[in-house]
Amino acid sequence: MMTKRFDEIEHTADLAIRAYGRDMKELFANAAYGMFALMAEPFGLSLRTKPSLEEPTREREVSLEATDYESLLVDWLNELIYLHEVEGETYSQFTIETLSPAELKAHVTGGPTKSKTKAIKAATFHELEVVKTDKGYEATIVFDV
Amino acid sequence: MVNKQDFKKVEEYVYEIPKSFRPDMRVPARLYADEELLEAALGDRSLRQLVNTATLPGVVKYTLAMPDIHQGYGPPIGGVIPSKASTGIISPGAVGYDINCGVRLLRSNILAEEVKPIMGDIVNALFQGVPSGVGRSGDVRLSHRDTDNVLERGSAWAVSQGYGTKDDLEHTEERGGMAGAEARAVSPKAKKRGRDQLGTLGSGNHFVEVAEVEEVYDRKVAEAFGLFEGQMVVWIHSGSRGLGHQVCTDYVRDLQKAVTKYGIKLPDRELVCAPFDSPEGRDYFAAMASAANYAWANRQVLAHRVRRILDDVLAGVVKDRELTLVYDVTHNIAKLEEHPIDGQLTKLVIHRKGATRAFGPGMEGLPANYREVGQPVLIPGDMGTASYVLVGTAKAMEKTFGTSCHGAGRVMSRRAAKTKIRGQELAKELRSQGIIVRGGSMAGLAEEAPAAYKDVDRVVNVVHSLGIARKVARVVPLGVIKG
Repeated sequence: MMTKRFDEIEHTADLAIRAYGRDMKELFANAAYGMFALMAEPFGLSLRTKPSLEEPTREREVSLEATDYESLLVDWLNELIYLHEVEGETYSQFTIETLSPAELKAHVTGGPTKSKTKAIKAATFHELEVVKTDKGYEATIVFDV
Repeated sequence: MVNKQDFKKVEEYVYEIPKSFRPDMRVPARLYADEELLEAALGDRSLRQLVNTATLPGVVKYTLAMPDIHQGYGPPIGGVIPSKASTGIISPGAVGYDINCGVRLLRSNILAEEVKPIMGDIVNALFQGVPSGVGRSGDVRLSHRDTDNVLERGSAWAVSQGYGTKDDLEHTEERGGMAGAEARAVSPKAKKRGRDQLGTLGSGNHFVEVAEVEEVYDRKVAEAFGLFEGQMVVWIHSGSRGLGHQVCTDYVRDLQKAVTKYGIKLPDRELVCAPFDSPEGRDYFAAMASAANYAWANRQVLAHRVRRILDDVLAGVVKDRELTLVYDVTHNIAKLEEHPIDGQLTKLVIHRKGATRAFGPGMEGLPANYREVGQPVLIPGDMGTASYVLVGTAKAMEKTFGTSCHGAGRVMSRRAAKTKIRGQELAKELRSQGIIVRGGSMAGLAEEAPAAYKDVDRVVNVVHSLGIARKVARVVPLGVIKG
């Protein structure tokens, strides 16, 4: 059975998701996955199953520093938004190699963005909390559109 | 949790939460609204956010929110935060992610009746010709040097490149170029995002709207603004695009350290700030002013494009196709202004997020031909009802730090709007009312449905009754393009 990666949740002005992970690395990967699922192709219509993609053709390394997991999570998502906008790419696979409150190193793969459904312009700290649950971790992230 | 009983009614339409409400409040927090809008505001977190703004170091007199208040990031949208320049803070969250999201109004000598029969063609031409929608890039590609020029000169740069006239500069807030802008304070990332987005509309609630002046309330002021009943006018609502968002993201991140450094305790991380009189504070101001200038240049290029498109599509239909700029206002900004505090003129950082400056007659910085009547206050409503042109007053300086509301304010989440309203149905319904809408996506259209917004007539009536901005004209949509 596929573990739920994220849910889209209610927010008055913009977009929000709740991401889940059995550990922190998976949380970060799923938060990114959820954001792109909301944002763009090439995901196809089914957001929760494995994306039916052409061979991923683009790869990027992301390396960030912060002071705590929340800042790092916001930074991570904002870095991906930046790459998405400036490089015209959409990522569907996220491998978090190093993760601590002070640093993140990740490898992301994807392809040129085909068509967009949503313009996410920034990830915010609004109501952001990384919470430990009995299944692992979850975090709610609100995006400015 | 803020309840209705926590408010004290100071006077009609003025509700105040005293600073005793919470120990960390430094000043009271005010809401300008009628009872129904106050009730509506209790429905989301906006009032708690309003209370939070009163805890910021250096805030003076009171922080406040307008009748179109709704939940934002950090401070509520519709909020005004006055902070002492010498000892107080400056906060990116109090300006907003879309720095200098704003609106301009163009007037014409054309009667709406003359163009109604071809509104479909007009909307199509605008939809094809104005770069809009998600990720669309414009055709003004900026070099590194150009980018820095845009950031430091704003609309003036655009005009020097042939996008518009000197008259446009005269009729733009800050003449479309804020002092204090420094391109070096803007990150390479932000500049990269801005490189090919100049002259693009963006998505969300940004739009170009062809409209009709339905009713004039104040003949003298309308005449000064060049408005008359039955006139065709054009609204352009847009901001600083990816560049402004990146500036906000960058500084919300960077100022996290400043908060610790200066020992500032915050009830909400999105209220991150630094003393205005500090290197960090000054850097943010310089970057914000630069992003603001980018937005003004953006609206200037958009206006130029709209003028060309309409000139083309109306050739042979009307003779005089000139569009002149009535005014351009920002509603997400921080300004350095002098206001009387305890009888002394004091330099303040006035943060306006989802709020519009509303200067009265005689105020410095107004175009010569408006100095006698006051500043145009442009209130874009939602695409189904109406927009307004108001005029600023001296009373605004007394009551709201020279500020008025900015629009209608959302009540329904985008998600709920999408599930409740179908874009296709909406377009059909609007068409039956004589309004033609074209948007980038049906879902996007549904999210912007009139039902998702507060009642703009109500919001404007509060502001008018308070005397902080007076009604000049009510304007109704004919044709709208949305990103």
